[in-house]
Amino acid sequence: MFHLISDCLRPLHGRPLPDGLNTIRQFLLAAPLALASVLSSLFIPAAQAQNCETLRSAHGEDVISVHCGGAPSASFDHKNHLWVAFVSNKHVYVSRSEDKGTTFSTPVQVNAVPEDAEFNGENRPKIIVADNGTVLLSWTTKTSNRFTGEIRFSRSTDGGRSFEQPRTVNDDGLAIGHRFDSLFLTKSGKLYVTWIDKRDLEASLARSENYPGAAIYYTVSDDLGASFMPNVRVSHNSCECCRIAVAPHGDDNIAILWRQIFGEQIRDHAIAVLSPEGTVSDLSRATIDNWQIDACPHHGPTMVPASSDGQYHMSWFSAGTIHSGIHYARYDLATASPADIIKIDGTPGAGHPSLATFNDTLYLVWKGFDGMSTPLQLMTSNDEGRSWSAPQTLISTDQASDHPLLITSAEGVFLSWSSEQHGYVFKELNND
Amino acid sequence: MINKSLGTIAGFTAAVLLCAAHVALADNRPADNIQGFGPQTFSELKAQFAGKPFVVSLWSVDCAPCRVELDMLGQMKKADPAFPLVVISTDPIEKREDAADILDEYQLADEVTWMFADSFVERLRFSIDPGWYGELPRSYFYDAEHNMMSHSGILTEEKFRELFPY
Repeated sequence: MFHLISDCLRPLHGRPLPDGLNTIRQFLLAAPLALASVLSSLFIPAAQAQNCETLRSAHGEDVISVHCGGAPSASFDHKNHLWVAFVSNKHVYVSRSEDKGTTFSTPVQVNAVPEDAEFNGENRPKIIVADNGTVLLSWTTKTSNRFTGEIRFSRSTDGGRSFEQPRTVNDDGLAIGHRFDSLFLTKSGKLYVTWIDKRDLEASLARSENYPGAAIYYTVSDDLGASFMPNVRVSHNSCECCRIAVAPHGDDNIAILWRQIFGEQIRDHAIAVLSPEGTVSDLSRATIDNWQIDACPHHGPTMVPASSDGQYHMSWFSAGTIHSGIHYARYDLATASPADIIKIDGTPGAGHPSLATFNDTLYLVWKGFDGMSTPLQLMTSNDEGRSWSAPQTLISTDQASDHPLLITSAEGVFLSWSSEQHGYVFKELNND
Repeated sequence: MINKSLGTIAGFTAAVLLCAAHVALADNRPADNIQGFGPQTFSELKAQFAGKPFVVSLWSVDCAPCRVELDMLGQMKKADPAFPLVVISTDPIEKREDAADILDEYQLADEVTWMFADSFVERLRFSIDPGWYGELPRSYFYDAEHNMMSHSGILTEEKFRELFPY
């Protein structure tokens, strides 16, 4: 059912960006830019309209702030406090907000020794706070200009006041590509890290054998990151440069969605279920877009659970001959097929969708570009993705911006987004 | 194919050393031939090539397949120094030292090339092609009347010649 093969491509650009995530405490990614025809200023209160330029004018070029940080991502703890991780000057920082993003605590440095932590749309630090208060972080550190990197992990067991020395999660000890990490904590306390790994590629090359793309690997910790089990391969021949979407599957398992190489050069998506015991099941093709490209889209998918067990809402980008643009579908693992496939936005500048669910409503946010500015668009569905509201522009910018991310808590669904013009914006979407 | 370059550590090291020789210590910046690419640059380049065919190649330092294409372009340029080639890196120009190293490795360091010099990259991409999704490598083939054809992904020389028979 699953035919792998071919070679993956490459990224768009190396701009700042975010990652996606959702529900319980999951994580993923996303990213880019914007401009200002504020069609609706619904979501940008004046109090939040402080950007990095303003802060640097007031506090100097070296100011450390969520508004200046590269590729922030966010998560709520069980007290509904907001935690944001970002990169600044080769350090990962964490800042906390007890008022849903209006004000933030002084950022705390995670890695004491500088490292080249990646921060762009598809690669950003991820943060999750366990119910016992342990703060968990993963990120990718670039180790050369030859597409090499390591998957890094750190945690705080004192409420975010200090962080353990970062550790490398990939266990092959090779100076090769390990990048595009995602972090997810199940309700039952299983901590998953997934990433794109080139160890099989390198081994094939050593045998003078062709190996399209890279591979997907993961590991699990059942002690909140004190230790991790040996790395497990999920799939050969993944695309090399797109974020991996993660969603819960039952109490202990997760489902992941990633860009996979099918046939010679088709870069569509695959889905699989991973267990804490290291077993991979339900591996199947999730999208049939027929995007033949020997290049890198740098454009990963987003996924959240649907109301029925084993079904997932997913949104992705493709420029294939079957589907082109941002699409939505609801995938059923039992039938290994997508339903209600719809085109969300087929305009050339549209991309980087992020999904979330709250109170039976499905939210989908993505970035566009109209030639002058970047609007963030929102659509909602109240019937599990069968029908959708008209698109609504949340905010726009005519300066650089990250991918938009949706974050959920027990209280609502929120937009997490960074731009030069607006700084870091965190705004509830379900109360307007 | 992506990894042709991965096997050339020695070559890369040599390239770095060569590049070091290019460093202008006076201002501590590489004496490269990279220019900033702004919102108006592409229209200016098209004007420079008025009535003439030319090729545009977009790449980034983080793009493995792009190295394959740069290798081909470097060899083509070496064989025909007058070849009308515009090479644009979509990385921020702050990464110019990384780009210069790579261009040097592929014998393109002596050519004038461009790097994105505006953080609002969507606008820069739009100025090149409103229909480009940002995937790399990406190439454009303009004839003398500036009718354009585009291609995403690694180009073979055969395909290149087919798209640009000049």
